[in-house]
Amino acid sequence: MTKIRRLISRFIGGTQCVLGALASVFAFLVYISLSTRETIAITSEAEVYLYMFLSLVFGVFSILSGLFLLREAK
Amino acid sequence: MGETRLKRELGLLQATMMGIGGAICAGVFVTLGYAATLAGTALIIAMALCGIINLFTMLSYAELGAAIPSAGGEYTFAKASFGGFLAFATGWFEWISNMFYASFCAVGFAYLVSYAAQAANLPIALNVPVVAVITVAVFTIINIKGIKETGGTETALVIVLLALLCIFTIWGLFGGQGTSNMELSAPGGFFGVLRAAAFIFVVYLGGEAIAVAQAEIKDPGKTIPRAILLSCLSLIIIYTIIAYVVLRVPLGDWAGKESPLASVAERFMGPLGVGIITVAGSIAALSSVNTSIMAQSRVAYALARDGYFPKSFFSLHKRFCTPYIATLVGSIFVAATAATGVVNFVAYATDFGFIIGFIFVNLSLIKLRRDKPNLYRPFKVPIYPLTPILGISTSLMLLFFLEPSTLFIGAELFIFGLIAYYTRMIGHYRSCLAAGGMNLGISAFSALLAYLIISASLPIPLSQNMILLIFGVAVFISIIYLIAFLLNITRKEGE
Repeated sequence: MTKIRRLISRFIGGTQCVLGALASVFAFLVYISLSTRETIAITSEAEVYLYMFLSLVFGVFSILSGLFLLREAK
Repeated sequence: MGETRLKRELGLLQATMMGIGGAICAGVFVTLGYAATLAGTALIIAMALCGIINLFTMLSYAELGAAIPSAGGEYTFAKASFGGFLAFATGWFEWISNMFYASFCAVGFAYLVSYAAQAANLPIALNVPVVAVITVAVFTIINIKGIKETGGTETALVIVLLALLCIFTIWGLFGGQGTSNMELSAPGGFFGVLRAAAFIFVVYLGGEAIAVAQAEIKDPGKTIPRAILLSCLSLIIIYTIIAYVVLRVPLGDWAGKESPLASVAERFMGPLGVGIITVAGSIAALSSVNTSIMAQSRVAYALARDGYFPKSFFSLHKRFCTPYIATLVGSIFVAATAATGVVNFVAYATDFGFIIGFIFVNLSLIKLRRDKPNLYRPFKVPIYPLTPILGISTSLMLLFFLEPSTLFIGAELFIFGLIAYYTRMIGHYRSCLAAGGMNLGISAFSALLAYLIISASLPIPLSQNMILLIFGVAVFISIIYLIAFLLNITRKEGE
């Protein structure tokens, strides 16, 4: 594997892991913080769980995909 | 197979107590108040109805447990009948549900102890997460020490719990404080009774711990069906009597309250009653932590046995003959979810996981009866196939009545399970290709979102700054995931 590809894999993998972690933190904030819900115009409880659902699935997938790329870069 | 090294040390008494202790948790102490607002005094019918629904599935557990007495309970039954992803999904839900249940009960116990310390004016302020973590640590040690110790602890806890509940019910029945002319009424009609039944069904969950520990039960052909049925019938009797006692007090005094049993006990017995119910609630929580930690470890052990989980989960402690790595790893997860408060928003998922397990046990029974008619079955479900069909339909009915939040979290756990299964089973290269495809999907979706936001096509009132922020983030994600897609699909096999 070329050095450039390894570098890109490391950067993209790391970014995906950070984005995944941020998405998971966002899901937690949506659950516990009323001000977060107001900021993103969540009005019903069903929407809370929908946002949490999407954020957590995105978060877990991003972390997993990021780890694949980081492993490749090693 | 290493499984033969698990020691068969649980007798009928210990196995039965494990079933009763696994089921009696905080549920019965807190759910009756809201259920009474749905069903009125017909709550007693809802309680008995739940018991009968539970009995249908427990009969299936009894037949399969006696016929296939290997560790893992529902997962092992699904593996023997379906195999593949369906078996893995059953085991996955059971594993996760038991860990969340243990965490939920440990936090419940910590709250009760903290409340009791405050009520007793103790000079120390107890930290709830710390108490929860210590509780999990203590039961982890007991579980690693041996199944005999786990069973013995469970038996002692359940005997004390039943004694306390006996005092409460006898006082309630013969104390003369309640109203003797209880009349059945259901303000919400039959639908209200059904909704109440779905809500209080949680009080029967956990009794299947017997099936999970079936590789450690002596004389499994006889003991497993007896223990399962004894615990199931005992629970019906205990809960129905409790409901009757509670209903001797006018509904207005306790319906809708967060701790209805404590309110009723105070009415009968004064502050002593509140004390008894608080101690009983604490012990119930402890007994559930004990069985859940045991159950999660045996499910993980069985999943590792079949290659779904890392092999280390399948190793047994040389001296104690317990799956100590599976117990330790699961307990760390339990302690972490309890300490961080994460359990508060995933606790609902336990109902979903247990009900999915119920459905698969009944389906496994039907499939095995068709595929392996000559399998030796020391116990057979009566009026087959009506019983498992009723078990499946009533479990589906319970799913229908679950809160949307429960279904969302359940679906989420299913997706995580799917990812775990494919990551483990299809190999690294193909997993990377799959990840590449999903990266492309996310990239395309983000690009679409960016376009819709900037062209003001979404009917969401957002400020100009917020629009620019979301647009920027969506474009950034789209580019990052597009590059991730390219990196994943252009990698060479074996790299």
